[in-house]
Amino acid sequence: MERFAGLLQQLPREQGEMLRALHLAQEELGWISRDAIRLIARHLRVSEAQVYGPATFYAEFRHSPPPKTLVTWCSGPSCRVVGGDRVRRIFEAEFGCRLGENTPDDELGLWLGQCNGTCEKAPMVWVNGRVVGPLSMVDTVKLARGLKAGDDPIEWPERPIKIAPATFLEAEATYGSEHGLDGSVEGTG
Amino acid sequence: MSSAYEELREAAELSAAPRRSPSRPLVRVDLSTSSIAAEADRLWEALEPLAAEHEAELMRVGTLGLSWLEPVVEVERPDLSAAAAGGGAVVYGPVRPEQAAEFLSAALGDNPAEDAAQWLIGARTPTAGVPALADHPFWGPQERRLMRVMGVIDPESIDEAIAEGAYEALDRAVTMDPMAICDLVLAAGVGGRGGGGFPAGQKWKFLLGAPGPTKYLVCNADEGDPGAFVNRVLMESDPHLVIEGMAIAGKATGSDYGFIYIRDEYPLSIARMELALAQARERGVLGENIFGSGFDFDLEITRGAGSYVCGEETGLIASVEGIRGMPKIRPPFPAQKGVFSEPSNVNNTETYANVPLIIQHGDAWYRQFGTESDPGTKMFSISGSLERPGILEVPFGMGMDDLLLGCGGGPPDGHTPKGIQPGGPLGGLLPASDLGLRLERPPFTERGVLLGSGGLILFDERASAVDLTKYFSEFCEDESCGRCTTCHGGSQRLVEVLERIMHGDGREEDLERIGVIDKTLQNANCLHGQFTPYAVRGLVNYFRDELDTHIADKRDPARVAPGLTRYLITDQSDPRLEQAAELCPTSCISRAPLEPGDADESDGDAGEDAAEALGDWQIHAPSCIHCDVCREVAPESIRVEDRFAATLSVI
Ligand SMILES: Cc1cc2nc3c(=O)[nH]c(=O)nc-3n(C[C@H](O)[C@H](O)[C@H](O)COP(=O)(O)O)c2cc1C
Ligand code: SF4
Ligand code: SF4
Ligand code: FES
Repeated sequence: MERFAGLLQQLPREQGEMLRALHLAQEELGWISRDAIRLIARHLRVSEAQVYGPATFYAEFRHSPPPKTLVTWCSGPSCRVVGGDRVRRIFEAEFGCRLGENTPDDELGLWLGQCNGTCEKAPMVWVNGRVVGPLSMVDTVKLARGLKAGDDPIEWPERPIKIAPATFLEAEATYGSEHGLDGSVEGTG
Repeated sequence: MSSAYEELREAAELSAAPRRSPSRPLVRVDLSTSSIAAEADRLWEALEPLAAEHEAELMRVGTLGLSWLEPVVEVERPDLSAAAAGGGAVVYGPVRPEQAAEFLSAALGDNPAEDAAQWLIGARTPTAGVPALADHPFWGPQERRLMRVMGVIDPESIDEAIAEGAYEALDRAVTMDPMAICDLVLAAGVGGRGGGGFPAGQKWKFLLGAPGPTKYLVCNADEGDPGAFVNRVLMESDPHLVIEGMAIAGKATGSDYGFIYIRDEYPLSIARMELALAQARERGVLGENIFGSGFDFDLEITRGAGSYVCGEETGLIASVEGIRGMPKIRPPFPAQKGVFSEPSNVNNTETYANVPLIIQHGDAWYRQFGTESDPGTKMFSISGSLERPGILEVPFGMGMDDLLLGCGGGPPDGHTPKGIQPGGPLGGLLPASDLGLRLERPPFTERGVLLGSGGLILFDERASAVDLTKYFSEFCEDESCGRCTTCHGGSQRLVEVLERIMHGDGREEDLERIGVIDKTLQNANCLHGQFTPYAVRGLVNYFRDELDTHIADKRDPARVAPGLTRYLITDQSDPRLEQAAELCPTSCISRAPLEPGDADESDGDAGEDAAEALGDWQIHAPSCIHCDVCREVAPESIRVEDRFAATLSVI
């Protein structure tokens, strides 16, 4: 939180920095907490409601801590026409939670994602931001069970593929930043 | 050519030259989002030490578009004599990371055409003994203008781009009269690539004529349409083309600042654009007094945050301002009141990317390809049920069958095309009989669909048109900004009706209901709501039989709807049922122990062989989630049946 507060200070005090500030909070804290909203409001000199609005409008911002292992399910049409909806049902059954939820212990979560144009890997999911696909249904069951058992999906023996960089931070760590945050943000990758 | 540009060009050519040394082979590795998804990054890591051993130059490039063959590697062999087989630039794929050593030895050996035959795709430049890429069905019909250097240059090096001619058009444009640039772009007839097709030159004139000193440009790289990845490929593979296009637009409209709004799902695009901007500033092609002309221009990037309606231009502007990206009623148009209430112009990424080419080659050249209504070329991303999904650039006016069946190879494994989904969630659905449509806007509009921004998805008989329509309606509901009840509530009702139909509870009057919802939606504020019914209209108009079968017969021909189908075991003797039961996510495949009395009494030694005391395999229908896992394991002994038809036949 302190680091986030420090980095936030480097952003100009303009409303136009709102999305940048929210992205920063999510990267640093993993989600947009009430305290983060308060800090951003104070820094940008706007009301908390003015932060809360965009923070809840944009699908990407999360309002609860992310699970340890996050499976993001691609809802897109290219995945859909080759069994994508079955993939969702399998994860829901294996994890015992609905789309958009975490397991009660926050170890696993299944969240909705939008097509990012890797459709030739359909049907696919992102596991902690990395593409795994194309998945057969049997693959999907094995992947879900592996994740439940704590396997690292990247080392998953039957892992068909993966994608990098997984997050913007990872990309930034590789390619450097233009956000005026140079050097102060450590990549995760 | 200004002396400043000439200097820049010379320096860039010098710096790019060593990579193309006449004695060292050049190995180009496609490192773009989709190839990295196919482990191109791992391949790169594996190739690094090997290339050093072979004294070859390893180079990061963008994509050639051959997505289904990733990871793609191109090897150029200036060290081989022109007469030697494989001496040109030869494209290979897919090269798996674990094959790196084997592949490199073959491709860098004396006879690559033969030794590396298992990976061989074709030769990009004339090469003895290797079929030309130009003869490949995916490549042949293309006219690669925007994609000319994609997959050839390093997208992270401005020198590479400049050596290939980047910013030459900007150098010319900065000395041109703004109105003359607008006129030229208008004469070329470049229409907006975001889907609307509005003439870019005309829109620029609005901004040029707007009063006041502050004017903003916005690049729409939100690319929210699932299945479309044209903008991503542009930004990842040739970011300077986009920057140059925007700078020229700046000169043409009297604007000195712009925003590139990139969706957050594209981290690599964001990273590469950031890098390209930094390099452009460093070289002075962005910033103050560009090429000594007195023209100032700079750009910044705004990261989106996962909202589809932010792709709509007024929503986009709101999002750049940092508030909720809710579309507004137009007028006022952006040229009157845009970013921070200043006059602004919004164009799609690909629209901007066309501009340098028009400045360079003129409007007549631009119109050599394309049609009267849509001049020029268009990038298309094709996916779904295709032998060869990928991204390519073809002239407007080409037949959709030539693109999807010719280039894309049609559905794999002998499946038959059933329909096409053009233009994203608001684009609608077309039946396979419309595959012959020309790829330009009018024929699509006539059929009640949108050609859209370049995503085309082909689906085959395995996909359900009802399910797809339900998906698009759900998407529209999820992404509705919530301002209008008509839009939000309308799409909600639409989803409810379709869901009910898919659960076997369709009613005669549902068609009428859909019609009412359609009419209501047309009263929504913005195009998002107004176009939401396109998909369901496509369903009603072109897939009527399928819809009727759902409603009247309670049957799903594609056997996708869980409510209308059920899984049945047809062969009890299949030993794979054991494994199917073990993998079933809901454990609904089991065999109950035989009731006492059912078992053969004489088989007295109970417990000796547990399996013998078990009855038939059964699927507990209420807990089956229709996931098809069991059928993947034991395809011949488990069947999906029409639920209602099956019940009838039992009774
Ligand atoms: C709901 C909705 C979503 C849109 N999404 C995009 C988009 O992702 N990318 C885009 O370029 N245009 C999108 N548009 C079109 C834009 O509003 C706008 O017309 C376009 O950016 C103008 O650029 P162009 O004239 O160069 O096409 C969308 C429109 C609507 C109604
Ligand atoms: S039509 Fe839908 S997306 Fe557009 S403004 Fe209304 S509620 Fe928002
Ligand atoms: S379809 Fe899935 S849930 Fe149903 S029986 Fe087969 S494996 Fe089990
Ligand atoms: S539809 Fe799933 S990646 Fe595009």
